[in-house]
Amino acid sequence: MKIENTKAQMRKGVLEYCILSILKNGEAYPSEIIEKLKAGKLIVVEGTLYPLLTRLKNAGLLSYRWEESKSGPPRKYYQLTEIGTEFLKELETTWNDLVKAVKITSK
Amino acid sequence: MNQTVTINISGIVFHIDVDAYEELKKYLSKIKSYFKNSEECEEIMMDIEARIAELFSEKISSNNQVIQSKDVEEVIGVMGKPEQYIDEDEEDLEKERKSSHQKHYSSEKKLFRDPDDRMIGGVAAGLAAYIGIESLWLRLFFVVALFIGFGFLLYIILWIVMAEAKTASDKLHMKGEPVNIDNIGRTFKDEADKVSDNFKKHGQQYGKKAESAIESFFNFIGQILNGVFKVLGKVFGVIFLLVGTFMLIGLLSMLIGSETVFSITSDGVFSIPSTEFFNLIFISENQFHMAIIGAAITIGLPIAMLIYAGANLLYKIKTHTGVSIGLFILWVIGIFLCAMIGIRMGTELSYNERDSEIGTSKTIINEDKEDFHLSIATENVPGEGILEDKYFTISLDEDSIYFNDIQVRVYESKSDSFEIEIEKDVAGYSKKDVNSKLNQMNYNYSINNDSILLGNYISTLRKNKIRGQEINVKLYLPIGKSIYLDKSLKHAINNIANVTDTWDSEMLGKRWVMLEDGLTCLDCDEIEGITTIQLDSIRTQMPIEIE
Repeated sequence: MKIENTKAQMRKGVLEYCILSILKNGEAYPSEIIEKLKAGKLIVVEGTLYPLLTRLKNAGLLSYRWEESKSGPPRKYYQLTEIGTEFLKELETTWNDLVKAVKITSK
Repeated sequence: MNQTVTINISGIVFHIDVDAYEELKKYLSKIKSYFKNSEECEEIMMDIEARIAELFSEKISSNNQVIQSKDVEEVIGVMGKPEQYIDEDEEDLEKERKSSHQKHYSSEKKLFRDPDDRMIGGVAAGLAAYIGIESLWLRLFFVVALFIGFGFLLYIILWIVMAEAKTASDKLHMKGEPVNIDNIGRTFKDEADKVSDNFKKHGQQYGKKAESAIESFFNFIGQILNGVFKVLGKVFGVIFLLVGTFMLIGLLSMLIGSETVFSITSDGVFSIPSTEFFNLIFISENQFHMAIIGAAITIGLPIAMLIYAGANLLYKIKTHTGVSIGLFILWVIGIFLCAMIGIRMGTELSYNERDSEIGTSKTIINEDKEDFHLSIATENVPGEGILEDKYFTISLDEDSIYFNDIQVRVYESKSDSFEIEIEKDVAGYSKKDVNSKLNQMNYNYSINNDSILLGNYISTLRKNKIRGQEINVKLYLPIGKSIYLDKSLKHAINNIANVTDTWDSEMLGKRWVMLEDGLTCLDCDEIEGITTIQLDSIRTQMPIEIE
């Protein structure tokens, strides 16, 4: 059992939750999401985000639209779908339960 | 300084150092192999490439146009190596990576269609990159092949068989590495591995290709048609724009710009002071203005639409449906306005009946006379001419309008006496209106012994307007009596029936006698079938037999 693997496993679940939370306040494009995630030290490299976003989108939790950019290729602006919002609500309760569980058990 | 290569990432062109290019290519291959087994591979690659392009764009400045190795390293640092990615099936991918590692690290050339350098489908450019020559030569080859006959089919087949290079890693593969001894050696080794691999895949792939074959073919046809339509569209755009602008200028200058209306008559082009003229036609000034507005809208809007359509064909313009609906409604209003005025004018002119005693006067002329002389005054019509034509003149003075519409006809008299009947004609909206207008129409003629001098104009008050006023002069000539038609009647006589069917203009300056068959010429030399007849002989032995 490697410590790195366990850490990664833990971060992975939280990461999805965090991405959905960021989009709760409105649409954003990957670079904006990355900035927030970097600030929270959740990810180190940007490459991590793209497959995650694609999978969340294909699962129907996110949708996106194209927007032209002055300084590069067109950008994908992601936003939550209805399913995504529902999904996020459930994750929120689960997260709160988990935090409680950790608090209780680690006392 | 190092050599540079031009690459296209996510639609943006970069100049990149050869070393940096190699590095980037390796990096992209690595990522691709990492996601190779996931369905979203292509989409993820495109997203990552878009981000890389964005990061490169930030690195480029006016004094640094070329992407260097350190830039690529930095970008890789930001994006992270696949090993650093957090992913679900960590262990599965680990295995995957090991097996695909070798294959994807090598960067042998692959045959792709080049979407960045294409004329039609990018086949020639892709082939050129694969073979390593200028695409121009291959294009020439295809053009020549087209004339020989197999070019079209060959191109279509290649189009179907070759996949389009969609991602940057595809494009890097398409361009491949410079050929050297090292690479050739490796290619042989890889080739052996690939052959067995390809056999496995072929079954599936051919199905897909056949499906997209039809699609590709229609794409191709579509592209050609699209090109043709685009050119035609531009040509029509220019034509529409020119014609529309020309017509609009014409319309505007007619409605607003000029003070005159041009009338093309048999005598040439005449200009008429427009307000004066139209005031004599329209019932009121208001109606006149409404007619102008109506005409401007009804004719002007379609012209404006023509111009718009032309502009739209040349440069795409966005339209709001609200605006077009509004314009359409305006147009309908314009038509409605014109129709209203049309109907109003129609009723204004609809009535032609009058009391029989009004407008017709009959004079019986001295019964003794045998010969008559008919002429029409040649004096100038009073007033200032607003419409002057050989056959039709309208002129004005302070309170009257003058017309010269006088029609002369000769009929056989039913009695023994020579009668002259003057019939006035005018249009109006009611019997009363017609009668009052008839009463205000003045026409003069004089009879002096056996010669009749007709007036050459009708006069009426301005308020009666131009309403088709005319005078019909009917002469009833008893059998056996004759009349001389003076040359001055040139524009007045109207289809006078005669036995020889002589034309009006030929009848002038001659003496005509009324026989039972009709008017017969007396001093015509040898008109077909008729000899010169003496007046006396006719009186005694009539009618003459024609051989």
